[in-house]
This record gives sequence, structure tokens and C-alpha cells, in this order.
Amino acid sequence: MDIAQLGQYVVNGMMLGIIYAMVAVGFTLFFGVLDVIKFSHGDVLMLGAFTGYAVYLGLGALGIEASWLQLALVVIASVLAMAGVGALIARFVVLPLRGAPAFNTLLITLMTGMVLRECVRLFFPAGSNPKPFPRLLPDTQWAFDGFALRLDSVLLFAAGCAAIAGVHLLINHTRLGLAIRAVAQDSETARVMGIGFESIVLLTFALGSGLAALAGVMNGLYYNEINFGMGLLLAVIGFSAAIVGGLGSIYGAILGGFLFAALQTLGAVALPFGSAYKDVFAFAVVILIIAIKPTGLIAERSSERV
Amino acid sequence: MNDATILLRARGLTMRFGGVVALNELDLDVQRGEVLGLLGPNGSGKTTFFNVITGLYAPSAGQVRFADTDLFRASPQQVCRAGIARTFQRSRLCLPLSVFDNLMLGCHIHLDHGLLFNLLRRRRFEAELTRLQRRARELLATFSPALADRLYQPVGAISMIDRRRIEVCRALISDPRLLLLDEPSAGMTHDEADELLADVLRVRAGLGELAIVLIEHEMGLIERVTDRCVVFNYGRKICEGSYRTIAADPWVQEAYLGQG
Repeated sequence: MDIAQLGQYVVNGMMLGIIYAMVAVGFTLFFGVLDVIKFSHGDVLMLGAFTGYAVYLGLGALGIEASWLQLALVVIASVLAMAGVGALIARFVVLPLRGAPAFNTLLITLMTGMVLRECVRLFFPAGSNPKPFPRLLPDTQWAFDGFALRLDSVLLFAAGCAAIAGVHLLINHTRLGLAIRAVAQDSETARVMGIGFESIVLLTFALGSGLAALAGVMNGLYYNEINFGMGLLLAVIGFSAAIVGGLGSIYGAILGGFLFAALQTLGAVALPFGSAYKDVFAFAVVILIIAIKPTGLIAERSSERV
Repeated sequence: MNDATILLRARGLTMRFGGVVALNELDLDVQRGEVLGLLGPNGSGKTTFFNVITGLYAPSAGQVRFADTDLFRASPQQVCRAGIARTFQRSRLCLPLSVFDNLMLGCHIHLDHGLLFNLLRRRRFEAELTRLQRRARELLATFSPALADRLYQPVGAISMIDRRRIEVCRALISDPRLLLLDEPSAGMTHDEADELLADVLRVRAGLGELAIVLIEHEMGLIERVTDRCVVFNYGRKICEGSYRTIAADPWVQEAYLGQG
């Protein structure tokens, strides 16, 4: 394999990694504050991408052509809308089941995801067909010895890193973050300290879902295509990444995301007919890692959360 | 006892868990600035009383008034804002967080800044941070000077005795008007418990009119620090008065003083 091809694989792997990490961070946040697995997460991501696409179509109809303005509005609308959807799911689907067995939450969020998915398929115009996601980023590229580094990949990767770093700052250096960490540790004590448990849960779900929306839009911008089923595989991968990294730890989620992307890339490069079996290979390795380290690579230390 | 001096007034307070009556039409007053001892065997409803007052349990019936606020079935947030702080029987600190972060949780309701404030108003943020750090250090130093130097260590690395001190500091840093201490001496030696309570009283002297309700089994401690005592059994108040009054009660003598 020549260097150009290898470079392409690495760039692609990094992009996948950052998107998986963003999804996994969401799973880890939800699990941290409420001990729940929210399986509608991937479909919220998909809905975020479709919201972005719809906003783009709307802006086109209004005659707004400047691509930086389109990009900004697409991202802002999609993130805010999904933050709202996440909070609504928390308020009306997840919180009412608090106290019920965890299986019920898992099942009902799985169903919620299916409802979101089918709604897009049925009610978005020609929703069952893949949609061409617009190229809103500059298409500059630098050539190195046959390998072309695209500016949009660099920008998307930077945006993903910035988003995760932002969440990390928020969690570790603000009053809201302190409240989230306190709820994650011991919600009863947090309430006695005057922290509004429900509002913190809603804000956390909004935060995770907004992050998923950004990941969805980034995914669309990178592949220039979105479809109603895109959230399904991303949810399974993001969830596996969070588990393999250690559910409850943000660093674990990031590590898990990049690890999964690295395994997929490795599978594609090293195996014969690799790209057909890269997911099989990556999931097989993940199963192996979980069998060896059931608590994930970065285990929660003495009930450490988020 | 006249109304103006009463800080917390509970009337007919009842808490049922299914068929179990944990608090049974309890009448209890806490006066401004007093130290009230709460005694009773395990399961007599002392901690349930704290949980009801702080809003963790919604009482089945009764009235609760704190100063001028109705706190019957109030949320923990409302109770906290009204000025009631508590500690737990088993240490409930956030172990991975630093001592400072845990204390900041205590005065969470008094902090008022988000990410934008932190990033954009650097000077005010730093002034605020310095003020809080000094306050946290002062408060810790009252209990243990060595502890004040470990402000940024995770609580998980700190001994159980010091964790109790931190928990009391976390309750005090919000400047409450009523402090509920749930067996602060559990797991401590007599001397350590004495010292802890003496420190609490010392901080209280600087705070003005702080009232304290203290759940405690150690009679010596009760005698030394409380102004008044209430004895619970099966969720009812069976005896009330100064230490000498309750110590003269036959039931208390049998249960606590090994006499009778």
C-alpha cells in the first residue's frame, strides 16, 4: 500500500473516531446522571442531521446563499432543536420511568428511537431515500505526495475536538458541571444541597443530545449523504465505544470512540476483503476486550462518575 | 415558649411507609439559636424526621413551618434555600471531587455564575474564587489546620475523621439558620467527637443565631452541648426537656444510662 492510501485511511479513521467519541460521550453522560441507557441516542443524531438538512433547504428557498451563514444556521438550529428533543425525551419518557427496572427504560428509549426513525422515513419528503447533504465547507485541499488532505476534514475534526473539550470544560469548571457531577455521584445529597435534580437531568440530556446533533451534521458534511437509518449503526458503535472505554467516564468514551475507529480502519487495511468485514472485525475485538476487562478500559474508580 | 422564638415548628407530622408508621403525629419545636439533642433507639424515627424536614421524604400529614416559610412537602431545593443544612449519618461526600469542590456544592445556591461569566468576567470571577477559597480555608482551619492545606486533594484520599469534618463544613458554608447533624460522632473516639462538636459550636458563635439539631447516642456529649433534648420512640415524642429532665425519665434511664 502506498503512502497516499495510508494517509487516506488515517484521516478517515480520525473522522470516524471523533464522531464515535461524540456519540459515546452522550451515552456516558446519560448513564452518569441517571444510570440509564438511552437507545434513542442514534436516532436523535439522525434527526439532528435531517433538521440541519431541512434548515439548509429552507435557507435556499429564502435565497440565503452565503455558505458560512448557511453552515452556522444549520449547526445552531440542529443543535438547539436536538437539545430540546433530548430534554423532552428525558422529561416525558425517561424520568417517568425512574424507579422502574432499567430494562423498561432501555426498551422504551429503543421504541422512541424507532418512532423518530419511522417519522423521518414517513413524513420527511421522500424520507426513505438517502439525501444529498450539502458541501458547506470550503473545498480547499493540500496535496502531499499523491495524498490529498482536505481542509473540510481538518475543520470537522477540529470542531469535534472543540465540542468534546467544551463539554469537558463545562463538566469540570462550572457551577452547572459541579451540579451535574454531584447528581451523578449521589442525587439525594445533591438535592439537599439545593440542586434541582430534574433540571440537571434535563440539561444533561439536552447537552448530550446537542452533541449528537453536531455529530450528525458533521457526519453529513463529511460523507455528503444522510439517510433515516444512519443513527442505528452509529448508536450501536457509540454505545460499544462507551462500554469498552468504561461507561460513566468521559475519557473512556473518547478512548473507546477512537479505539473502535482504529479497529475498523485496521480491519479495512489488513484483512483480505477488509472493507466488507471491518465491522465484524471491530466488534469481535470489542467483544474480546469486554470479556477480558468487563468494566471497560477506564473503570469507574470508587463510584467515580462523569 | 412563645412564637417569636420558634424557628422550626412541626405539628402532627406523620410519615407512613406502607403499613409502617415512622413518624406518628409528632409535635416538635426548635427555638432560634438553641442546640437541641434528638435521642431514641434505632428505628425510632430520628433520621426519618431529618429526611422529612429536608424534603427527601414527602410526609403523609401534618404541618411544618420554618421561620415564615411553609415547608410541608417542600422540595429539598426549597428547604435548602430557606436555610436548613444537614449532614448524613454515613458520610455522603463526593469522593473523586476535591475538598474544595465538595464545599462549593454546599454553597451551590450562593454561587451565581456560568461558563460565560467564568470566561468573560475574569476579574470578578477571580475575586469571587479567591473569596470562596479563603472562606473554605478558614472554615476548614477551624476544624483542623492540616485539613485546610489539603483543599485540592480528592476527598477519597482523606481519612474518615476528616471526611466528617468536611461534611460539617459543607453544611456550614451555606450559612444556614438551622443545622441538622445526624450522628456526627459515628465512628469517632470520644475525644474526637468532643472536639468536633466544640469546633461546631465555635463556628456557630461567629455565625449569630444558628440553631442545631443533633442526633446522638453518646449521653455525655448530649449533656455537654445541648440546651434541650427530645426523646423519640416508635415515631413519637416520649420525653422532652433539659438533659436533667430527660435523664430522670425512667425509660431513658433504662435505655441509655443502664439503670432502672
